[in-house]
Amino acid sequence: MAATAAPGGGTPPVGAPGDGVPYAVELRGITKRFPGVVANRDIELRVRRGEVHAIVGENGAGKSTLMKTLYGMHRPDEGTILLDGRETTLRSPADAIAAGIGMVHQHFMLADNFTVLENIVLGSEPTKGGRLDRAEARRRIREISDRYALGLDPDELVENLGVGDRQRVEIAKVLYRGARTLILDEPTAVLVPQEVDELFGNLAELKREGLTVIFISHKLDEVRKVADSITVIRRGTTVGTADPRTTTSRQLAEMMVGSELPSPHTRTSTVREAAVLQLSGVSVASTDGGRPAVDDVALTVREGEVVGIAGVEGNGQAELVEAIMGLRSLAAGSVDFAGQDISTWSTRARREGGIGFIPEDRHRQGMLLEAPLWENRILGHQTRPPAVKGPFIDRKGARSDTERIMREYDVRAPGPDTLAHALSGGNQQKLIIGREMSSAPKLLIAAHPTRGVDVGAQSVIWELLKDARAEGMGILLISADLDELIGLSDTLHVMLRGRLVATLDPAALTPEELGGHMTGATDSAVGAA
Amino acid sequence: MTALRRIGTSLAAPALAVVVAVVITTLVILLIGQNPLTALQVLVDFGETPAQQTQAIVVILNRAVPLFLAGLAVSVAFRMGLFNIGVEGQYRMATVIAAGVGAAVVLPAPLHVLLIMVVAMAVGALWAGIVAVLKVTRGVSEVISSIMLNFIALGTASYLLTGPLRGSPEGAAIITTKEIPESGRFPAINGLFDVLGLAQPRGQLFGFLVVAVLVGIAVSVLLKRTRFGFDLRATGLSPSAATASGIDARRMVIKTMLISGAVAGLIGLPDLLGRTHSFGTEFTAGLGFLGIAVALLGRNSPIGIAFAALLFAFLDRAAVPLQFADIPASVVTIIQGTIVLSVVVANEIARQLTRRRAEHSTGQAAPPVQEPAGPAGTRIDARQEAGA
Repeated sequence: MAATAAPGGGTPPVGAPGDGVPYAVELRGITKRFPGVVANRDIELRVRRGEVHAIVGENGAGKSTLMKTLYGMHRPDEGTILLDGRETTLRSPADAIAAGIGMVHQHFMLADNFTVLENIVLGSEPTKGGRLDRAEARRRIREISDRYALGLDPDELVENLGVGDRQRVEIAKVLYRGARTLILDEPTAVLVPQEVDELFGNLAELKREGLTVIFISHKLDEVRKVADSITVIRRGTTVGTADPRTTTSRQLAEMMVGSELPSPHTRTSTVREAAVLQLSGVSVASTDGGRPAVDDVALTVREGEVVGIAGVEGNGQAELVEAIMGLRSLAAGSVDFAGQDISTWSTRARREGGIGFIPEDRHRQGMLLEAPLWENRILGHQTRPPAVKGPFIDRKGARSDTERIMREYDVRAPGPDTLAHALSGGNQQKLIIGREMSSAPKLLIAAHPTRGVDVGAQSVIWELLKDARAEGMGILLISADLDELIGLSDTLHVMLRGRLVATLDPAALTPEELGGHMTGATDSAVGAA
Repeated sequence: MTALRRIGTSLAAPALAVVVAVVITTLVILLIGQNPLTALQVLVDFGETPAQQTQAIVVILNRAVPLFLAGLAVSVAFRMGLFNIGVEGQYRMATVIAAGVGAAVVLPAPLHVLLIMVVAMAVGALWAGIVAVLKVTRGVSEVISSIMLNFIALGTASYLLTGPLRGSPEGAAIITTKEIPESGRFPAINGLFDVLGLAQPRGQLFGFLVVAVLVGIAVSVLLKRTRFGFDLRATGLSPSAATASGIDARRMVIKTMLISGAVAGLIGLPDLLGRTHSFGTEFTAGLGFLGIAVALLGRNSPIGIAFAALLFAFLDRAAVPLQFADIPASVVTIIQGTIVLSVVVANEIARQLTRRRAEHSTGQAAPPVQEPAGPAGTRIDARQEAGA
């Protein structure tokens, strides 16, 4: 379906939009090759001035390569870039900035111990007599903040800001440098629902002021909510454009993956009697000595059961997971695994005993980014075949098992010797899941298993979890994706300020209701668990 | 990415560093009004007769053996992200005590040598173990504690030498421990030259060369092929991921420092068992610090360290002949210093190139890596978790 217009029509094929004004950004036939692979092929993109244009595609589809091209981080092998109708060559990000293009990265690049003002001006400081002209900087930042309703206090320290505010600082940074076209790379990945709404409010302001926003995402509901037009990328090339008003998320997703989609829903219960994990009175002290991070938590995961834990991030979920894995010591309570008290077991003993672990931050806890895939296959399984033989590493065994995982779990990479950081997030995650599944654990602790993962990989991961559950694996699922929680869980707990405040039946629950519980708004109405 | 290309990349950085160092040194020699070509001539001039030439080789090899062991000791800790700056103190303590024990006992030859080696390794490990224990129980940075322990080691070694272990007569200019008897000496392997059909040199080639090679192989196998080595490297690459995978970071710190210290304990033995037969005020100093440089240059791989040690030894040999040519011997130190500095820079560049190539090979953008792991250059904060 490469050249066909997508559902709901799209933009005219050549030239300018009907009104004669040239496109803010137009890419024609962009192709970018890397040794052995074509990352982008015949990309066609037309973005009108003053619109929010979404680019959607799976991770690894080539969105980032395309954005790097547009931000001058590398030059395309073929094709032309037109900005406001003029052909432009971008040799570096500095060129792009000069041409009015700004990039807001997914990972914030802010100095915590600097103020908002210092962060924004860093690198293009207004000076007076060789010194930073704070008054001038403050004036301009206030002006930008007011104009686009960013609500920034120039003198606040960045370390005191929440994620949403930090993102607005990043946006202000780009606006300060005179950007007329903003590229936002997965801006909602780090935000909670309320912050997402705020961000969309900000984008509307930008649009109202005539700025152009290119919004990269794979969260289709959000894209439909915020975008004026959508371009879909699949396997390195644009497969069409869509009108968000007339296209459903499902249609979009099918354009992205090129096939029909599964849903997270599992309805037939496979829950058995025997408990694999039983927490009673588990408390974990917080690092800053305040109220406990986890406070008197009791829950049971049975064989074949998915127990979901919902909650706004930072309410003790991470600490709870670490306590179960033995990475954090208990202040009180006990952890029972398959009938044994494992509270004093080491992490390794717990893993050997049959607990699989998908950590929430795969870069920090799940992978050795600078090591090849086969070494990552060994990580966490250092004591078990096929990775090891006695005290020695079984390189051959590890390599061939890595190949098996790559095959069975559709990990797209050149081979087991590829370094892990060369893989996209979704492929890294599939490797981790394949690794954890390969030892057939009795219990799987899955923290945000589909975070930062594209639709295609997400559905694969959901299928894997469902299969595992059907085979009798107990799964503790921690997630911020409400659909995922409701769809996969047999039992759903809500965690708030370290406590489980509600136990809900996912069969009769809407995401809106769940969201209410997560913020504590409907606490008393349902009653604590 | 073929193996050939990988090797190419790993060689490029040190080669570049050597070139940069040569350029800088040339400038320095020009600045002091001497001819750089003369210096170069001296560096590569091994003498006229075959015996002189093999003698030069012996000097280089004898110097390279302790340097190799020192680099190895440092690299084991580096691989886990630990900076064992204390190798200097570890080998001094180990050598003085091993010299004392070796002189005090009489045993059949092989056992005597073995005992001295075991004592040296045990003392080295123990001294490094203090650093590890401080780190895991009290969170003391190993950089600080191992530097401080160096001072204590130097002081203690002097005390032992002038006090309980003193063997030289009262009032002698050079204070030494008692001589180790014949049975506790490591035989030279000059037979090698006959086997190879080369002229016999004046000096003796340290038999300890064989031990060093074996230790190098053992460390290489340990790091690359064993579970323990995997745990060690994993901790070095990402302490948080290692902990999550079930590696006990504290235990790893202790085990790694013990191994590093044990290897460090061997550093003084080639000289002690092959030449001086006693520890004294004139005993070779500074090998521990040079070991850090050698490990950096060799990119923490045993083979790389072997080449780095040979290069340093090759440069050191020229120290005396350079003075005959009216060029200060410190030229050698300048070359070594600039090599190390440029290799640190070059390693970082090479690492980024490798990364970029890896990204290109899949055509995917990798997220910025938060902790710049990599050849033991820059990470101090990231490692604190390991021991905290």
